[in-house]
Amino acid sequence: MRIGVDVGGTNTDAVIMEGSRVLASAKRPTTEDVAGGMVAAIRAVLDDSQVPVSDIHSVMVGTTQFINAFVERKHLSEVAIIRIALPLSEGIPPLVDWPDDLRAAIGEHIYMVGGGCYYTGAEYMPLDEEALVKAARDIRDKGLEAVAITSIFAPIRQDYEERAAAIIREYAPDVAITQSNQVGSLNLVERENAAVINASLMRLSRQVIDSYRKSLAALDINGRLYVTQNDGTLMSAEAAEQNPVMTCSAGPTNSMRGAGFLSGLKEAVVIDIGGTTTDVGFLHHGFPRETTDANDIGGVRTNFSMPDVLSIGLGGGSIVAGDAEVTVGPASVGYRILQEARIFGGSTLTATDIAVASGQADIGDASAVSTLPSELVENALSDMHSKIETALDRMKTSARAVPAVLVGGGHVLVSRSLKGVSELHRPEHASVANAIGAAIGQVGARIKRIVEYGDSGRDEVIRQVSEEVKRDVVEAGGIPETVKVVEIEEMQMTYLQANAVSLKIRAIGDLATGD
Amino acid sequence: MEIRNKQDVRDMARGAAFLGVGGGGDPYVGQLMLQQEVLKGRYPRVIKADELDDDARVLSVCGIGSPPVLVEHLLSSRLLSELMDRMEEHLGYSIDALISAEIGGLNSVMTLGVAAQRDLPLIDADGMGRAFPKLELVTFSVYGCPASPVMIMDELGNMAIVQSRDDATAEMMSRAISSSLGAMVYSALYPMTGRQVKDFAVHDTISLCYSIGKCIRESREELDNPFDGLLALLNRPEEGRHCRLLFDGKIVDLVHEIRDAWHFGTITMEANGNPDDVMVVEMQNEYLAARHNGKTVTMVPDLLCILDAETAEPITGERLKYGQRIKVVGLSAAPIMRRPECLAVFGPGGFGYKEEFKPIEELNP
Repeated sequence: MRIGVDVGGTNTDAVIMEGSRVLASAKRPTTEDVAGGMVAAIRAVLDDSQVPVSDIHSVMVGTTQFINAFVERKHLSEVAIIRIALPLSEGIPPLVDWPDDLRAAIGEHIYMVGGGCYYTGAEYMPLDEEALVKAARDIRDKGLEAVAITSIFAPIRQDYEERAAAIIREYAPDVAITQSNQVGSLNLVERENAAVINASLMRLSRQVIDSYRKSLAALDINGRLYVTQNDGTLMSAEAAEQNPVMTCSAGPTNSMRGAGFLSGLKEAVVIDIGGTTTDVGFLHHGFPRETTDANDIGGVRTNFSMPDVLSIGLGGGSIVAGDAEVTVGPASVGYRILQEARIFGGSTLTATDIAVASGQADIGDASAVSTLPSELVENALSDMHSKIETALDRMKTSARAVPAVLVGGGHVLVSRSLKGVSELHRPEHASVANAIGAAIGQVGARIKRIVEYGDSGRDEVIRQVSEEVKRDVVEAGGIPETVKVVEIEEMQMTYLQANAVSLKIRAIGDLATGD
Repeated sequence: MEIRNKQDVRDMARGAAFLGVGGGGDPYVGQLMLQQEVLKGRYPRVIKADELDDDARVLSVCGIGSPPVLVEHLLSSRLLSELMDRMEEHLGYSIDALISAEIGGLNSVMTLGVAAQRDLPLIDADGMGRAFPKLELVTFSVYGCPASPVMIMDELGNMAIVQSRDDATAEMMSRAISSSLGAMVYSALYPMTGRQVKDFAVHDTISLCYSIGKCIRESREELDNPFDGLLALLNRPEEGRHCRLLFDGKIVDLVHEIRDAWHFGTITMEANGNPDDVMVVEMQNEYLAARHNGKTVTMVPDLLCILDAETAEPITGERLKYGQRIKVVGLSAAPIMRRPECLAVFGPGGFGYKEEFKPIEELNP
């Protein structure tokens, strides 16, 4: 049996699952120390389901703590930034496009070192080991704790970064090192940014993961701890300590995957209504459709695959305003809904009050909203539905009506059919879909590199790389028989004489969880 | 116009992405280089061509390589500076001003960076008013200013001088050298005189580029619909400039194919809520033609840009994706680009189309 936990800004949700059955679910307020809310939510599902702790084989946690820390510039470590590419790239050193406050938080410890290879993997200059030794000594003398190493074309050849890491360790054995090949794909600036973000969060990630471990220990749970990453698959707690940046968009991913799991749909639109916002995204082959745009994390450009989600300012706590022309949101009472909404004895009219007045929801004290003018309720409902319909239309790729899955604590806001939707699913446990998404329990791996099909031919090259990715999945804990390639993407490269292709292959498998 | 801070640099790069008409290389790398110069207090100086003496010595610099390689190699200011030194040495005279051969994409922003670094003025003009995939596709070449000698260098100190019979051969030779050096090299080329620039360049494109980028940002901040601002800037029939909002919808199909290292693509879009209203944009590295329900609405060398429907941010060809909500804007090419001798080179026939060129303002009265 396994427990899924989603640590959100407002609530910490937990579910306990056996196979595909949800045995119990709970929602508790997120606490300042996170661990408190986590323990409370897990204890609630254990009590409710009466499952003995010894049966818990694994605990999967989805969290936005790391990304929040970076965005808020809290708990960041100073980072030694090593780039291996000289004489190439000299004109654009690390951090050039970072916001000033972040640059100050990270420190400007930049070491640009000679060596590297072309896109073909052919070396244009050997690694300047002397320069690295000098950098290592300097890092040790400054007492820096985190190092980010980026070499040119690292997704194609990792050995420059690996050798550099070994040299640094010789002189400064205790530093935490991030190699760019572990966290990013082609595009040096964006990959280097990801590596630096990751390095700056490693100290925090050790503390956070440690607090998760302590929470589990306090509950006498001996199961293995996993953390969900951007694409919805899991990584071990040890891997999460190393790669906190890979968790940065786990929130929306988990709730979309959870929606797919609960509804059984592989192709659908997911409407996740929270306290302040509604996220609309598409499931494709059971996974969130991803965006390939450059995206900003706290003002820093990165190129992670992120779920393509449109967020609008509408949620359960959205404030209802206006008389003649009623609008709902984007202002929201957020987590104060339990004090401020009319149905909870407050004085602010919120979207949830409207849902109760319309009869869709039975929460709090319905008599507090029974005297609302029916025209006001009607107009607010129209505004809420039309906002969701507009978002839906913006995200749709064709005019055809699609099935929709409603999840999140605010799903009660929808009480009518939605334009452009063929069938509306409101699955059981919809309000904890994110925790369920965390507990689905799959592991994955991906490889992105530039290849030349040459003599061995396209099929053979794809077969070889696929085997390599599948081995990585098994290494990550996947059950070998369940591992399969889910995505092969080929992008031809322009302006090259050689027939080079940028090849991306992704595979996933079920995690061995003992169920 | 003045480029004195990060915002100015970003506006310039956004304009270069617009005029890149889908190609030209991501201006972001050039933006970072120019930003470095500007933050050091070295501001590029932009002058009008008529401020030049007739016998002034003018030169272009540009990158030759593959866009996905550029984003790993980035740029070396040291190399660009040395390239200028060596080219002046080879030519036997010093350069008075720089001109960007290609306003769209990486090259114009990068040339501004070189101008700032070398404290040379950059002329408010270029050789095409957009982006094209080959170095001979410039007005300079059409009017008999040869690309050669083309000096090519990389960061490792490798260097070649291409002296070719014609500019198409210079392109082939340069491309071969680039491929053998990891697919990204830098070149100094098209040495010209002030007189030639005045007569043969496409004028005022640097300032146009900057105003497009600035207009998109400001309209986004101030207007409900940023496209209103963009059209007000670009549709000025009294100045001979015509701009049309051609389509509002989303991408429903993308077909890419690489033949002989060139990127051929077809982008199919559907109007919101009306699957029968379809626009197809055809590309060869850059967007070339747009057909609205089968009817041609824009044809090369007139410009096409695909922008984010909400923010009006230009989307380069490699970042287009299925499902994006976009708007398509068409812009008339500069009058010089529509002369018969220019159309013979980069009109529809230059890209294998059988049809005649028709101006955007006639196709969409």
